[in-house]
Amino acid sequence: MQQASAIRAVIDIGSNTIEVLVARCLPDDLETIEHQSTLARLGESVNESGEISSDKLKTAVDAVRKYQELAKKHGAEQILALATEALREASNKQDFLDTIKRETGIEVQLISGSAEAVLDYYGATYSPHTPSEAGVLDVGGGSTEIVTAKNGHITWLTSIPIGSGAIHDRYLHFDPATYEEREAARSYLTKYMQTLRIPETPPALVVTGSSASSLLKLAQHAFKLDEQSHRLTHADLSACEGLLGALPAQEIAKRFEQKLERARILPAGALIMQAAMQYLHINEIHVSSHGVREGALLIYTRYGDGWLEEVNGIASKRQASPAGLDAQEAQEKQQQPFAELGRDILPGYAKKFLKWPGDIRKQEDIEAVHKMRVASRRLRAALDAFESCIDPKAFQKINRRVKKLADSLGVVRDTDVMIAGLRAYQHSVAGEEQEAGVQWLIERLDSYHQQEKQALDAELSALDEDALRQQVDSCIPKGAAQHGKS
Amino acid sequence: MAKAKPLTTLDPQAPAGQMARRAVYTRLDEMYSWSTGVDVPYEVRGLHNLRIAAKRLRYTLEIFEDVLPPACRAFADELAQVQDELGAVHDSDVMIALLRLCMGSEDAGLAYEQALVKAGRQKSKDKLLLPSDMVAAVLDPDVAPNPTQRYGLEQLLLKQSQLREEHYGAFRRHWHQLQARDFRRELLDVLQG
Repeated sequence: MQQASAIRAVIDIGSNTIEVLVARCLPDDLETIEHQSTLARLGESVNESGEISSDKLKTAVDAVRKYQELAKKHGAEQILALATEALREASNKQDFLDTIKRETGIEVQLISGSAEAVLDYYGATYSPHTPSEAGVLDVGGGSTEIVTAKNGHITWLTSIPIGSGAIHDRYLHFDPATYEEREAARSYLTKYMQTLRIPETPPALVVTGSSASSLLKLAQHAFKLDEQSHRLTHADLSACEGLLGALPAQEIAKRFEQKLERARILPAGALIMQAAMQYLHINEIHVSSHGVREGALLIYTRYGDGWLEEVNGIASKRQASPAGLDAQEAQEKQQQPFAELGRDILPGYAKKFLKWPGDIRKQEDIEAVHKMRVASRRLRAALDAFESCIDPKAFQKINRRVKKLADSLGVVRDTDVMIAGLRAYQHSVAGEEQEAGVQWLIERLDSYHQQEKQALDAELSALDEDALRQQVDSCIPKGAAQHGKS
Repeated sequence: MAKAKPLTTLDPQAPAGQMARRAVYTRLDEMYSWSTGVDVPYEVRGLHNLRIAAKRLRYTLEIFEDVLPPACRAFADELAQVQDELGAVHDSDVMIALLRLCMGSEDAGLAYEQALVKAGRQKSKDKLLLPSDMVAAVLDPDVAPNPTQRYGLEQLLLKQSQLREEHYGAFRRHWHQLQARDFRRELLDVLQG
C-alpha cells in the first residue's frame, strides 16, 4: 500500500567511502532526495594491519551518526545500513559493528560479496534506458563485482576481493604511479580475470562505483567528451590512465575537480576497468551513478523486512561456484531415476520447513512466520512433484499435516502484512479523521492477529518435528514403484 | 484457491530430467488455463488462481533446477515477478473486501454481519477471500467505527482502489509483454533444446 512512496535511507559503509542515500522509494523507481559521501578509506587500514584502526572507527561512527540525523531530517521511515569488503576482511569486524550499534542504534548488515553483486545489478540497471541484456561491473574500493543477465534477470555473478583501494595500496606506491608499477598491476589483474570462467560475456556493460563516475568526469573535463553522454570507450580509459600516470594526484584533483583522496586511487580504478573490459571483450561501457545503495532501497521496497533474505537467495543461486555441477555431473543427474532425485532432495525441504517453529514460538525473529510459510509452500510443491513415488497414505498424511500448518501460518502472516501496510499508510496520511479510521482497523486486526498467533503457537508446540522429518525422509522407498493413476 | 493438478503419472524409475520436464509442462498448462481472465480487471478469483499457478510453476522449475537447463532460472525469476505483481493486486483486493464489509455492516446492521459470518463458515470448495474469523473479529458490533473513524475508512477504501488499479495495470502490462515475446514458447524451446 502506501509503502509505495515511502522515504527511506541507506548508509553504505564501503572500503573507500561511507555514503548515504535518502530517497522516495517506489518498487521500480527512486527519487533521490539527498546523497552524501565521506571518503573514509577503511580498506586502507585493513590492508595495512588487518583491522580497522580506532581513528577510522571514529570516522565511521561520526559519519553514520551524521547520516542518521540527515535521514531523520528528511523523514526517512527506515534507515538501512550495510557494509562490504573492508568489513568482510577486518579481523575486528564484530567490534566495529557493535560499536556502531552502541553509538547510533543502527544495526549494520555485513553483506557477502555475492549479495553486493545482486544489489549492484538491481541498482545499476533500474533505469528504463538500460539494455535488458547488459551485465554490470562494480569497481569498489575493496572488491569488484561482475554480474551477467538475460531479459533483466541475473544469470551469473561473482565478487572478487580486488578493488581500487587494494590495487593502489599493493602496487601503486609512487605519485604518479610509475610505468612499471602500472604494468605489474595490469599483469596481476589480467591473470586474475582469466580465472573467472564467466559462462557468457554480456553484449553491453554498465559500470558503477565511484571510480567509474570519477573517471567519466575526468574524461569529460580533460578530453572534452560530451557531458550528457555516460559512455566511455577503452581508448578513453587508456587516455585517462595515461593522464593519471603523467600528473600527480594533487594536480589531477586541482585541474579536473576531483577529491584528492579519490584522485590518488583513480589509476587503480582505471586499471581494473580496463582489465575487465579486455576480459569481457567489450569496447565501450555505460557509466551509472547508481549501484548497491539504490539496489538496497529498491529491493527493500519490493520485499520489506525480508529484503536481505531475498538478495541472499538470488546470490546463492547465481554465484559462480567452483563446486557447481560440471557437464558430466549434470548429465548423470538428468539420467538418474526420478524417485532417487526425490529421495535426495525432499529431506532438504523438510529441514528448511522445520527450522522455524522454535523462533516463531520465542518470537525472536519477526520474519520467522513468513520464512516458515514460504518453506511450507516449497515443501508442498516438492511433495506434489514426487507424489507418484510416494505411497498415497503416507503422502496424504504428510500433506495434510503440512497444509494445516501452512494455512495457520498464512493467516498470521497475511494479517501481519495487512497491519504493517496500514501502519505505513497511517504515518503518511494527514488529518485526524483518516488516522482514526485506520487506527480502528489496526486495533480490530491486532486482536484477531493475537488470537490466531496463539492458535499457531499451540499448533507448533503440538508438532512432533522428529516424526514429520522422519516421515518425509523415508516417504520414497528405494526402488519405489509408481503410485497413483497411470 | 484452485487445486494443483496431481502429478501422479510420473514414472519413479524414468530419467529424472525427462520427468521434471513433464512436471513443468503440466504446471505451465495449468498456469495458462487461468490466463483467460487477465484482461478482466475484477476477475478477482481468476487472478488469484493465476498467481497460485505461476507460483507452482516457479517452484517446479526451482525444485528440478539441477536436472533442467540453466536457462530455466530466468523464467523462474520472471514468474516471481508475475507472482509479486499479482500478490500486490490480491493484497489490495483483500483490503478492499474487508473495508467494504465494514461499510456494509454499518449501513445494513446486524443481520448483514450475521449473514456474512454464517456464509464464511459454510464449507466451500474455494476458500473465501477473507477468513470468516477475521470477518467476525472486525465486524464485532460492540466496537463499530464511529462517524470520524468511518470517514477515515472511506478514505482508505478510496486509496486502496487507486492502488489496486495501479497494481493491476503494472501486472497487465508485464503479462502482455510476456505474451508478446511468447513466454510459453520460449520456455518450451529451452526445455526441449
